[in-house]
Amino acid sequence: MNRRHFFLALSGLAGCTRNSRPRLNVINYSDYIAKDTIPNFEREFNVDVRYSAVIEGSEETIAKTMSGNSGWDVVFPENRLVFPMQEMSLLAPLDHSRLTNLNQLSARFRNPNWDRDLRWSVPYLWSCCGILCPRAASITSWRNLWNEQYRGKITMLDEPSEVFAACLKVLGHSINTDDPVQLRAAQKLAIDQKRYLRAYLNTEVRDQVASGDVQAAQLWQGSAQLTIDSAPRLHFVHPSEGYSLYCDCVAILAESKRQDLAHEFLNYLYRPAVAAANSRASRASSPCTNTNESVLASGEWFRTSSGPTQRLRDRLWTEIKSA
Amino acid sequence: MTLRRIFLAPAALVTIALFLVPMAIVLAYSLMTRGPYGGQGMPWTLENYQRFFDPLYGEILLRSFWIAGETTILCLVLGFPLAWFLSRSGKRRDLYLQLVMLPFWTSFLVRTYAWVFLLRDTGLFNTILLSLDLITEPIPLLYNHGAVLLGLVYCSLPLAILPIYSTLERLDYALVEAAADLGAKPFETFRKIVIPVSAPGLRAAAFLTFVPSLGTYLTSDLLGGGSTILIGNLVQNQFTTARDWPFGAAASLILMAIVLIGLVVVTRNNEDIL
Repeated sequence: MNRRHFFLALSGLAGCTRNSRPRLNVINYSDYIAKDTIPNFEREFNVDVRYSAVIEGSEETIAKTMSGNSGWDVVFPENRLVFPMQEMSLLAPLDHSRLTNLNQLSARFRNPNWDRDLRWSVPYLWSCCGILCPRAASITSWRNLWNEQYRGKITMLDEPSEVFAACLKVLGHSINTDDPVQLRAAQKLAIDQKRYLRAYLNTEVRDQVASGDVQAAQLWQGSAQLTIDSAPRLHFVHPSEGYSLYCDCVAILAESKRQDLAHEFLNYLYRPAVAAANSRASRASSPCTNTNESVLASGEWFRTSSGPTQRLRDRLWTEIKSA
Repeated sequence: MTLRRIFLAPAALVTIALFLVPMAIVLAYSLMTRGPYGGQGMPWTLENYQRFFDPLYGEILLRSFWIAGETTILCLVLGFPLAWFLSRSGKRRDLYLQLVMLPFWTSFLVRTYAWVFLLRDTGLFNTILLSLDLITEPIPLLYNHGAVLLGLVYCSLPLAILPIYSTLERLDYALVEAAADLGAKPFETFRKIVIPVSAPGLRAAAFLTFVPSLGTYLTSDLLGGGSTILIGNLVQNQFTTARDWPFGAAASLILMAIVLIGLVVVTRNNEDIL
């Protein structure tokens, strides 16, 4: 290749990035959308979508967008992060006149406690946190995870809010408590549990439950269902004491310069066929159906904790890990 | 002179833009207050530094230093004979050197995950031991201190071998022979000739293994199963779940300051390092 060819090739590359079609930038969790949702949208609306499924935990969404200059248009914050993100002026208000498909939402999700009247976000998929274990195991409650029989065969999530939620439910408290006495009691329970634990693992535990290394794992229902699909001898338990519920929402960033297109995308996500396909692929529940009412009834939604409570929880968590 | 400046400019710009500016931002964050929902805000404060002087965090710091120290010693003990072997291996030397560097061709994350598959109850080691009837129950190889140490040593070993090798390669073997001719026992030759000659390499190897091990957080999560907390995990938690960036920034700066002071003390009398 001589120099002229080289520069020709370079200008060709530059041409590629200057595409005439508008581009929407969407960032989401992995395993959280049906395969053809994005390609179909691109084709129908004649746009490009830069879809990135790199988000690991919900806190990452906030960390990545906090600068107000992240380059993303559409994000999927967890319900408890909607209020903080809105307080930090990160979210754009939704124009409901352009979101006609939201009439598909079941009544329960049209006015959730984290975002009244859906001014800043729309529920995308919801699920809960329970226990993945073999059908043969007689596990029905969180309390069963403090058991000599399963010593070294139990894992909890490496997420302070979920470990606290399980311990608080064993004690009969709210998962969102601000009471230091209740939080310390939950911490004591968590430290007591460490001798039965194999480890604190997130979704990477899936293989080990499937292979039998782990007998019981605290896990999110979506991930658990994906494991059960490949290992039918397992099942997912909704612990009898109650459990945490979470709802991942879809929102448009205030920084986005493509508000119209972003609204089109949101509206598209609530077409019945699209919503159903995404729910099937991720194994999480769609807010557009009325199924799983009983799951909602015994669960409790996470709420944003205040600064001092967040700090106390972090300290107690650090002590649990150090114990 | 001007030409020299022009040539130095890109390197200086990169250093300033990619190193000094981010450091200044970290320093500024560490002096701010956590916002009501995370992030950082006013007023300026030293509280984040004061907060670190707490036995809880001191213990975490000590634990991190302890495991980094163990890693360093193991890497030197394992790396020295290997480096010696490499420097005496004649024609095959280049091949062996390539083999030492081979792990770097794969991502650190993938290599660490590979250890999970080897060490777990239904992993390779336990399966072999079980099928040979050497054990009746899988032995817990994963999610303990030993597994974290193994992961750290495995990742740092090439970084220890290479600097030791580069000093041993320059060792004049005639000195060893002369020592033997003059009646020195092998151990005496090793202690009085080989060690002093390779000391700069050993020091460099110690630093290259100690410093990265000190800040590790992935290895302790993946192979330790998150059952313990190291300083790297503490910092990571502040930037994720706790959303307390100012405290995370202060903790990482304190760690950096300790390492820098250590580096200055050690290099003051030994300018040959690195």
